[in-house]
Amino acid sequence: MSWHPSDDELILHFYGESAGMEQPIDAHLASCPSCQDAWTGLTHVLALVDGATVPEPDASFERVMWARVQPSLPSRRSRLSWLKVLVPLAAAAVLIVGAFVAGRTWSSRTSATAMTAASAELATAHERVLLTALNDHFERSEMLLVEVMNAPDAKHMDLTFARATASDLVASSRLYRQTTEQHGDTRLTALLEDLEAVLIEVAHSPAEVSAANLKDLRARITDDSLLFKVRAVANEIEQRQQHMSSVSEGTL
Amino acid sequence: MIRMQHDDAAAVQQARDGNEEAFRVLVERHSRGVYGLAFRMTGRAEDAEDVVQETFIRAFRQLSRFEARSNFGTWLYRIGFNCAIDYMRSRPHRETPEEDATLEALGGPGSAPPADALVYAGEISERVQSALGGLSERERAAFVMRHYHGCSIEEIGATLDMKTNATKHSIFRAVRKMRAALAPLMARNAIE
Repeated sequence: MSWHPSDDELILHFYGESAGMEQPIDAHLASCPSCQDAWTGLTHVLALVDGATVPEPDASFERVMWARVQPSLPSRRSRLSWLKVLVPLAAAAVLIVGAFVAGRTWSSRTSATAMTAASAELATAHERVLLTALNDHFERSEMLLVEVMNAPDAKHMDLTFARATASDLVASSRLYRQTTEQHGDTRLTALLEDLEAVLIEVAHSPAEVSAANLKDLRARITDDSLLFKVRAVANEIEQRQQHMSSVSEGTL
Repeated sequence: MIRMQHDDAAAVQQARDGNEEAFRVLVERHSRGVYGLAFRMTGRAEDAEDVVQETFIRAFRQLSRFEARSNFGTWLYRIGFNCAIDYMRSRPHRETPEEDATLEALGGPGSAPPADALVYAGEISERVQSALGGLSERERAAFVMRHYHGCSIEEIGATLDMKTNATKHSIFRAVRKMRAALAPLMARNAIE
């Protein structure tokens, strides 16, 4: 009997998540006293967990909860006032990202434009400004990720500055993502989505984050190769900016 | 259950169309269930109530994203778990030291009060809740979803935005920590 199920395998087995291993584990447990002990210990402790009850709220709970929720629901009026703020922001985001996404398409289609020289020049000037803004967004995001990844391993880490930066970046990231989504750029959308999730996590983290939480945060950044992807897109934007500069210099 | 799902879907549709009364029905139907998960996540009745409130406010804002063929309860619970995690993150300083101290006190040798002074069922609930308090937010959410709500690893991963392996490891760590924290109680059970 050389094989014994690990603790992890027993936990998965308990929860019915040991696909394909149910029978071998059951058969083994029937014949191995030490694994049987481990299994019994696990099932007993988890049975104990089952025994924990949640205190039942009183009979008026539902009514009270509705009384709390109802005034907080966004009214039509407040939604309209938000729209007043969001529409110009969204329009700016549409311009910024739209220009970038369109630019990526244009770069593969040489001289197929029917634009007049004047409007092309205007569009180029717009795009240059907008690319700078998008580049700034990714650069700041990259710096934030680097800061989190390189933070010293202390018991508690002060994330006050990172939190403020992350909060700032979340709003713009969300608008950029919605715009890339509308333009059908799935790669950029996916990246902004991943980035946004981490930014939200940093923004909502306590001012002093524990070593364990910092480790979780870093694992998330690493698992998604987020830093790499952000750098790749930032590079792409820079190349596009350089290309625009060289074209512009060539025409002078 | 199927009838309730159907009723939920109809209520969601009406709420989307601006019928506030339909949303009130959803709040009254599901608030107790959301409270259960919120209590297990936060360990405090008043915090759980705040989480329930925030869950329904977020749900209302996201109603347009709810797909009619999905189960409203499952969708709502996902929002509830994320609200609970956000809530705990916004109040870590109040929770963590107390939880650590409680866990140490519970886990230490000779810390168990005399058997005749205990109301056993209440003690189990308290100790389990304290042990849950010793888990990280993600471990706690993954464990509560798996253990009390029967969610699959995939569902948990999707809700908490974690990969399958990370989800499994959160559950493994949670079970080990629960086992360590409840060991004194288990030992006493064995003696008795």
